[in-house]
Amino acid sequence: MEIDDELSLFDNAFIADLLREAGNKVEYWDIRATLSEGTTLDFTDQRSTEISSYEMANCGIRAFINGGWGFSVLKDLNKDSIKSSFLKSIKLARLTKSLLKNEFKIIERDPLEKSFKIDSKLPLSDVNIEEKIKLVKNHEKIAANSSKLITNTRTIYMDGISNCIFINSFGSKIKQTLSYLRLLNMVYSRKAGIIQRSLNSVGGLGGFEILSTEKAEKLSEKTAQESIKLLDAKSPIGGQFTIIADPKLAGTLIHEALGHACEADLVLSKESILKEKIGKEIALTDINVIDDPSTGQGKKLGLPYELFGSYFIDDEGIPSQKTTIIKNGILKNYLHNLETSSRMNLPPNGHGRASSSSARPQVRMGFTYIEPKDWNIEELIQDTKNGILCKDFLYGYTNPTTGNFQFKCKFSYKIENGEKKELMRDVALSGMILEVLKRISAVGDKNTFGFSSGICGKGGQNVQVSDGGPYIRVDDITVGGLN
Amino acid sequence: MYEDIDISELAKFAIRIAEKNYPNYKCAEIFVGKSEYLNIEVEENSVKYSEIGRNHGISIRIYRRNGSIGFAFTNKLNKNVVEKIVKNAIKMMRVGTPDPNFKNLPEKLKPYSVVEDLYDKSIKSLLIEDAIDHVKDLINICTEDDQAISQSGDFTANSNLSYILNSNGIEVSGEETLFDISSNMIVKDTINGEVSNGYESQMKRKLADIDGTKTAEEALKNAKRNLHRKKIKTKKMPVILSPKGTIKLILNPIASAINAEMYQYKRSFLVGKREKKIGSDLINIDDNAIINGRVGSNIFDGEGFPCRNKKIIERGHFLQSGLLHNSYTAGKEEVESTGNASRSSFSSVPSIGISNLILHPGTAQKDELIENVKEGILLNSTADSPNIATGDFSGLISQGNLIQNGEIKHALNETMFGINLLDLFENITSISKEYKIYGPYSAPYVKIDNVQIIGAQSLKN
Repeated sequence: MEIDDELSLFDNAFIADLLREAGNKVEYWDIRATLSEGTTLDFTDQRSTEISSYEMANCGIRAFINGGWGFSVLKDLNKDSIKSSFLKSIKLARLTKSLLKNEFKIIERDPLEKSFKIDSKLPLSDVNIEEKIKLVKNHEKIAANSSKLITNTRTIYMDGISNCIFINSFGSKIKQTLSYLRLLNMVYSRKAGIIQRSLNSVGGLGGFEILSTEKAEKLSEKTAQESIKLLDAKSPIGGQFTIIADPKLAGTLIHEALGHACEADLVLSKESILKEKIGKEIALTDINVIDDPSTGQGKKLGLPYELFGSYFIDDEGIPSQKTTIIKNGILKNYLHNLETSSRMNLPPNGHGRASSSSARPQVRMGFTYIEPKDWNIEELIQDTKNGILCKDFLYGYTNPTTGNFQFKCKFSYKIENGEKKELMRDVALSGMILEVLKRISAVGDKNTFGFSSGICGKGGQNVQVSDGGPYIRVDDITVGGLN
Repeated sequence: MYEDIDISELAKFAIRIAEKNYPNYKCAEIFVGKSEYLNIEVEENSVKYSEIGRNHGISIRIYRRNGSIGFAFTNKLNKNVVEKIVKNAIKMMRVGTPDPNFKNLPEKLKPYSVVEDLYDKSIKSLLIEDAIDHVKDLINICTEDDQAISQSGDFTANSNLSYILNSNGIEVSGEETLFDISSNMIVKDTINGEVSNGYESQMKRKLADIDGTKTAEEALKNAKRNLHRKKIKTKKMPVILSPKGTIKLILNPIASAINAEMYQYKRSFLVGKREKKIGSDLINIDDNAIINGRVGSNIFDGEGFPCRNKKIIERGHFLQSGLLHNSYTAGKEEVESTGNASRSSFSSVPSIGISNLILHPGTAQKDELIENVKEGILLNSTADSPNIATGDFSGLISQGNLIQNGEIKHALNETMFGINLLDLFENITSISKEYKIYGPYSAPYVKIDNVQIIGAQSLKN
């Protein structure tokens, strides 16, 4: 896979031409263009249901005048189309501006001229399709042969490389060469009329080395075992419980129960329950929460690749950086894009992200986590008289306006008198943002720290995120159940 | 630019390349999609974003005689790149596994139904200024209300063209329009300062059917109804589903469970239930693709196969013919496709999706349904979805109210529900005459008895 550099059309003369066209008519503009190629392999029951490849071009152009945005999206990357869309964006911005009631400016930021590249030990371009298929087939085989109770297996492999360019009116010109890979495995099993499923994935920024970790190699084996284990799990009884959340669930909890409400676009639109809470104590003093999408996190966690939620720069040309959300229980910062940081008169913190060059940047999280403290996992369980140990999650969501959130756990074990007991499935947990942060009664040590990666949706756009933390204990959580 | 491109010519070129490079292929299909859209976004109850864009692309799906599939796509509509992706698809096909379950792509056998009003030509003359008038309707409702403090919303106009050519003689092309408008209204109680939100949306084929005022009014009503949230106690009680609740708890799960792919892979809780009674006599469900002007209507599906009306559940019986098929799942079961091949764009291989999924209205008055409840829940929305394999559904009521002595009371905080879908179907005791259409769904109010409600109010209080 080699992408021809069609992006070289954004040469200095062309940019100068665009700057001339913009003149004093707009206060800010930016252009994002991406050329991408990739592969998808989709196998079910050891048979290929999709083997595909693609080659795509995307471009989005934004213009801003005094509070109003114009955005135009095109697919033909040539100077004429780009220039005509550029002028359309300006026209749209002018029209928007004429109608709006909230006027504001975008504060000028330092320009950045730089190139970034995702390093890879095993670049995707060096791996042929046969090798990828062999790997997927192998995962399918392991899952299918692990037990007679397995009724259906599915493995999806996705990879892609892209060349991107970002140009804005501050004078930034940023080039990126990116590469990602994701492997997803799903296993269904059946016993005595009961059907259960489990799903696991690995993914990150990098090349084929993403599949070289032990976790990746054992992906389908683990999924199959989990699916079978769930056949004997019990349905939960609803009520109020103390829960111990594993790192994956703790990460989801902090993403859903805190992260979204910290997105400054929702704060400005009065849709966040954390409006006017900066400097206020919203969690116990033991709690520190960070969002750090900067690169190098994978290495810290012992991985040979970058985390899914990491990036070099956000989609507005601002470098990714560590943002402290909660320090010792006090809300310190919201997450910002160019617009919200301008309106709140703060420096931007690199959270303006879009799902592609064809979508407009929103305020989004990157890698959100709770910092570890001092409990070890055995102590944590022993110290819990009655409760539920919840591991991994299926999905989660929040309503940032009311503060009500909910997520579903994959595995849950009853805890009785400090001992781990029977397995339960489909445990749903619910709570209120401002209440739950004050009910965290224990935070695990650094040995218990872990993370997970996935896809987060907001306003119709999906972006790659990671989140994590140590084991944590939360009191008085509402648990849903069928009984 | 793509206005100048002859789609049919390009598609035939692609087939020729396939024939030249792999003469012994079983069958092949070219899909071309083109779309244009216009979008206006409202934030903080003010116009904030205007966007226009377009998308186009071509894909090829090709099968070997042993059933192995290759697929490739691009949005670069020129012959050089198209030639490259056809060769890529052949490469993919060569390395795929054999699949004896694959029979064939659709053949040109049946006539197409006449379905009208799928395309509204007024989109051609639609200006961004006209679109802004629709969002002004949203903005006015928020401005005029004392409790409404903010609103986000949007209006989108879309026109799509789909063109399908396959090596079995199918060549079809059709245009459609879609307009949608949505409002998320934020209200603040003037006395205690409590904040809540309410959501409403419309999706229509015809621009003239879009009503911003009504959408915002409904969102405002929902938002106000969502104030004064209180926790309640855990208890089994009846639940009245609003049309949106009916979509989330009944129609959406059924849409997944009757998908032949889910069913054949035994991922559906309805496996083994065909020709059996799966719930109350009151349940009658159709999936109808040929109603004029409806959002889920189509003349042909994502593989060019003719669309039609299908009966799914009759008087609580899940019919033998109640599965939705594309050509692959139909071939596997040796039946005819139901015309439910769906593809979200040129870049996806056809999966299976509903047309217009309709739960037939009943005889009850919606107001009477509520008036007859002594203690129960009015459930308007949940963001959860069930486990389709088991039918277990536990979720958070994101918008719901307590009903006491036949009256709608305070909203619910941190209140969850739990039920298996087969029990839910069994416990349906009443369906209203009144119904609402949201996108491809047609949903009345439904009363369900004996639902486990889990409240967060502790027993101590």
